[in-house]
Amino acid sequence: MATSVTSMDKPVAAKSGPASDARPPRAPRPPRPNFRQIHQFPLPVNVHHVPPVIPHNPLSLISVALSYLTFLISPPRQEVYSAYFDKATSSIHVTDERSIKALWQMGFFGKGSLSRSEPSWLAREKKRRGLQDGKTSEEITRLRRTERRELKLERARMEKLAIEERLKAEAAARESGVSESLDQDAQSTTDDMTNATAAATEKFSLKKAREARALEARQARELAAQNAAAGEQNQTETSNGKSVRFSPFVQKKEFLSTSPSSPKLPDPVVDSLDPDDFPNEEHLQLSNEEAFFLAYSLGALQIYDAPLNSGEVQATSPTTTSALLQQFCNHSFQPARDSSASLQPDDPFMISYTVYHHFRSLGWVIRSGVKFGTDYLLYNRGPVFSHAEFAVIVIPSYSHPYWSETEERKNYTAEKQARSWWWMHCVSRVQAQVLKSLVVCYVEVPPPAASLDDIGALFGQYKVREFLIKRWIPNRTRD
Amino acid sequence: MADVDEDVIKAPANASTEPDVDLSDETQDFRFLNHLNFFADASPSIPRRGEKDFEPNPTELQADVLSASRGAMHNALSYPRLHNTKTRVIAFYAPDGYVPPVKADRATLKAGEEDGKSSESTPKPERPLPNSARISPDACVYVPSPKGQFFKTMGQADSSSRVWLLPEEALYLIERGSLDIRWPSPSGSPAGPGEEDLSIPMSLQAAYACFMGRGGLTLERYSVYTGLRRLGYALLRAPGWFDDIEKPDADASNVIETPPKLHGPGLAGILGSIFNWIHDPRSTASTATGPIIGTGIHRHYMDVYRKLAIIPWYDPVTAPERHPADTTPPFRVVFHVFKPSTPFKKSAPPAPDFRVAVVSTRDQTTMPTMTQLGALLESTPLDPPRGEKMDRMMYMRLRHGYRNVVMAVVDQGVVSYLRVADSAFGKEKLYENKGGPQGPKWNRNQKPRKR
Repeated sequence: MATSVTSMDKPVAAKSGPASDARPPRAPRPPRPNFRQIHQFPLPVNVHHVPPVIPHNPLSLISVALSYLTFLISPPRQEVYSAYFDKATSSIHVTDERSIKALWQMGFFGKGSLSRSEPSWLAREKKRRGLQDGKTSEEITRLRRTERRELKLERARMEKLAIEERLKAEAAARESGVSESLDQDAQSTTDDMTNATAAATEKFSLKKAREARALEARQARELAAQNAAAGEQNQTETSNGKSVRFSPFVQKKEFLSTSPSSPKLPDPVVDSLDPDDFPNEEHLQLSNEEAFFLAYSLGALQIYDAPLNSGEVQATSPTTTSALLQQFCNHSFQPARDSSASLQPDDPFMISYTVYHHFRSLGWVIRSGVKFGTDYLLYNRGPVFSHAEFAVIVIPSYSHPYWSETEERKNYTAEKQARSWWWMHCVSRVQAQVLKSLVVCYVEVPPPAASLDDIGALFGQYKVREFLIKRWIPNRTRD
Repeated sequence: MADVDEDVIKAPANASTEPDVDLSDETQDFRFLNHLNFFADASPSIPRRGEKDFEPNPTELQADVLSASRGAMHNALSYPRLHNTKTRVIAFYAPDGYVPPVKADRATLKAGEEDGKSSESTPKPERPLPNSARISPDACVYVPSPKGQFFKTMGQADSSSRVWLLPEEALYLIERGSLDIRWPSPSGSPAGPGEEDLSIPMSLQAAYACFMGRGGLTLERYSVYTGLRRLGYALLRAPGWFDDIEKPDADASNVIETPPKLHGPGLAGILGSIFNWIHDPRSTASTATGPIIGTGIHRHYMDVYRKLAIIPWYDPVTAPERHPADTTPPFRVVFHVFKPSTPFKKSAPPAPDFRVAVVSTRDQTTMPTMTQLGALLESTPLDPPRGEKMDRMMYMRLRHGYRNVVMAVVDQGVVSYLRVADSAFGKEKLYENKGGPQGPKWNRNQKPRKR
């Protein structure tokens, strides 16, 4: 099946195999991993429950005392992960395998540098080399997309076929005589080409396209048989061949998608590697907001300036949070601002972190919304459990009187706040298309602060206000 | 202009036999399309929704279908529309606005008494503007003998049961063909029943010229008005109709009241932050540089999240309601909109179903700032998400919000409506749902939600 295709008939016949066998009973989904177990902790912070005290049960007191005692004797250590700041990409890299896993599983922080979200490159690569089986989410998505694309192409092909049949019928009608009215002709020809038009009427549903495809394949086979029997069908044969010109294209796509599963790239050097010491080329990439949240708010991350070699002793000390804030603020500009510049209250990082922290502190899993053209996406519990319900757009607001004191400041803030209606409509239509509710999140920017020592006080001056904006369709709310 | 009107009226008289053949334009249209299906294909494929040809193809079938449906539409449009003399409503244009009834000369006292009963103030017969029956000063068209369903939701009746129409109402009706507006007769006494025939009908163009721009009516507002009106909504002008703030003069007391109210949010905000601070004093120790949550042993994720709450957020419940005059002009509610299903009484309009602000993208090229949008929302009453379903579903509560307003963004005649809701994410502590099964079941048990 995976051999190269030469003749015109073959692809159709070959395609009919999987099409008729595999499609109708939809393959059962592979069992999902127990996400509830894997992602049971919402944050990478250790929590130690104290056994409840039950007044009439003295044993409970003992257990409480016991737990306190164990804490006293061996205080549980908070796991601290380490990462480094990469100036080139202005992001935080986590290379330690264990840290990557922990940060992803507890709170869905970061993104695999070679993956869509969860770092799964290693699994994919192992699978590609036939060292491991199972499917990663990227592959499932790709498979689904390929299938849909194929069906769409198929649909287009069917449409084309129907049009050609129709044209032929019309031409025949014109030849046969003007006396016959067209609609009679149409009726008679539709009777003639039963299968083709039946397929044509179903042209717009993917499911039906699927069925039509099997039908079409069978039809083609019959046609081939007929060809062998009688030569008079030559004309139809060629026209059919013309209409099937989409076919090689489809075939190509199909093989392209399935090729990773077949061990097609025999790489002699790497293939000889043991699956255990297979190098992981991927790292976890944290956004600056995520990193700052982990470092400053949770204290679960230490950020260094340069990558650490595994053997090396930590010579340099991790960046302090205030230095980190300064660094992130400078890097929130493109190109990065000079490191000597002073912190401004409306630095993009200050605003974006305010929003990030706000939603994190409410329990949302907040991730970048760049794939839908927004600033953030809000997940309930996490992306593996459900789709994001809200998409967040962040707009600064300069409502403090300080910002309207001078004409210069007024112009400056007006420019910063300005968002055009067209932009708004674009965003809101995209969100409607992907079934997200659009949240426009305004952040009130305070006047420049006197001191930057207290980061908590600094962020406490900002204020967040959310508006939910949705297209109103008067036709639907009439009742 | 008048000729055109006459032509239209005359035409059906000539072709009076046709209406007998065509039943009604709608049924005829459908039948024609059904017939078309028949000849095209054994299976019905053309009028079904969602199946359309996206690009032209050279088949005659497509061309036929196209021309046939075009023909059906032309046929429907060519159906003569009649203006029945029974339903004909004549109105008069009053360029100077409301004029008290002429008959008042005869029965001034009587009229005054009636007005006193029906409205709050007694009229001064000599001065027309502070009029008796709350007729808007912008009303400029009156209908001496109103009939028909439109006057259920439009216009204001004065003491002599004339209905006064606002410019947009008059324009909408004349555009619809439901009203015949006459120019004021030169003699100055338009109301005489015998003189009606002598008056000159106003053309649609003239109506646009006369009414557009009158009393704050802009083309954008009119587009919104007529669009919603055609969908069956009833619309009333909201108090914030006027850009130049005239109302605050009248409502001087309100304006004086607002400053202390305006102080409110600041105070409440401070109180709130103090409360927040008291709520978790431990966090202050470490917010400066270190982990907010501290390095100690955490007992529960709830505590962790509570410590993390350092960013102040806006609480729509504590925010005071503002006077419309506090808002900045384009972002101000100008229409109160009532659903067709809402029982509507002109004399006592119910609470509006929607509040609409009209924005022209050419005058206001940018989205509102938070101050503008906030003021707009605060000028609407609190509408918290309540109800059996809302209590159960957090997403629904968030989507509904605490206040809401509809912005009609008009871009050169194209209206797009945006519903803006004040959704307080801070009031929904998602982490309290954690640990247990999420979803409706959990939310229902979770009634004693903390702040």
